[in-house]
Amino acid sequence: MDLDQLKQILRLVQDHGLSELEIEHEGLRLRVRRDGAGPGVTPSAALAGPSALYPLPPEAAASGVWPASGVLPTGVATPASDAADTELELAVVKSPIVGTFYRSPEPTAPAFVEVGSTVKKGQVLCIIEAMKLLNEIDSGYDGEVVNVYVENGQPVQYGERLFAIRTK
Amino acid sequence: MVSDPLPRDFVEAFDALREPLGPFGQRHIFFDTIGSTNDIVAALSAEGADEGVVVIADAQTAGRGRRGRTWFSPPGAGLYVSVLLAPGRAATEPVRATSLLTLAAGVALAEGIEGATGLSADIKWPNDLRVGTRKLAGILAEGAAVPGPPTALRVVLGFGINVGPAAYPPDLAARATSLESELGRPVDRALVCVHALASLAARYGDLMTGRFDAILDHWRRRAPGHVGARVRWQDGGEPRSGVTAGIDDTGALLVHVGASLRRVIAGEVIWE
Repeated sequence: MDLDQLKQILRLVQDHGLSELEIEHEGLRLRVRRDGAGPGVTPSAALAGPSALYPLPPEAAASGVWPASGVLPTGVATPASDAADTELELAVVKSPIVGTFYRSPEPTAPAFVEVGSTVKKGQVLCIIEAMKLLNEIDSGYDGEVVNVYVENGQPVQYGERLFAIRTK
Repeated sequence: MVSDPLPRDFVEAFDALREPLGPFGQRHIFFDTIGSTNDIVAALSAEGADEGVVVIADAQTAGRGRRGRTWFSPPGAGLYVSVLLAPGRAATEPVRATSLLTLAAGVALAEGIEGATGLSADIKWPNDLRVGTRKLAGILAEGAAVPGPPTALRVVLGFGINVGPAAYPPDLAARATSLESELGRPVDRALVCVHALASLAARYGDLMTGRFDAILDHWRRRAPGHVGARVRWQDGGEPRSGVTAGIDDTGALLVHVGASLRRVIAGEVIWE
């Protein structure tokens, strides 16, 4: 998928006033969501600041756009912008199961990670409990946590976004 | 971490029951004292250990339950055992098999204890074993994240059984019981261990071959409180209470709250 196609998709979302669009094309899954469209988290909050690193056309500025590809998604490089020659990737860690989300190993312990934490591939990010099976969820990437989508102790659904990680 | 020799009574008990032990008949690692048997199995899993490895300790210095609870594990009073499982490899419906694993373990533990001692314990959802209102045994299952498909999931399943009376801390004394306290006679700890593992092998076999109904039926028979009992729990931080209405096919506890039916899949449920 090239930048033009991406622009077309974003225009489609805007022109039709869609709040959310998910498409799958040649192994890449894209989800586009407009600010304020969904409950809870607004994707742009995660991207506040580094918008320049995110070379999207102006009409997309209000939308969060990133790949969403299954349980342990692979990050997708954003298209290189005019000046930027570094490739930056944003990966979203999703819940592999339905359960209760815990940010720390036990109630009185500090969280496994915070926004801004540097994480290594294989590092534990959270625990999701279902049927008294406590599942550790790992980071699939080296990088920096840029967003935590779910509050401690809240239920999560299968495929729900848990963390955004800017990969290195 | 250097292990200790498996005590003679365990060696004999394992030898006597090798076939029914299935995957748990292969590799046994014993510690006189260890932090937590679950941690040892998790470390073995990370090193690539095969499914079925069994770690047993006479005492744990950091025995734990769900969400950081302590599991009181003094020497000579209990049985602390952990095994490595891979429920995602189930022949049919691996997700459902994984969901039912902890219930299957509760059934197995109750059956193993009954087989070795004759004592019948009740199951409290999802898998605590109790006699009356006192806790006899507990299970802690921890899934180690594995990159890749859900079928790659490996689970460390640990159980603690109170075998003999112990000098429980005051907050536990009123809530805990042991096999010997209930039976009023000495209990062969190695026999209980081997029966529990043999029962676990059988119920794990059910799970891996899609015999989910057998697990659910036996669980229901041993869990009198899963229907018509008043319970309370926390739902995303909100206190709730209601009356139990059974379990569904994935093992979730159903609770009537007023006119609505809620499905509880995580957290601690307290029977009133």
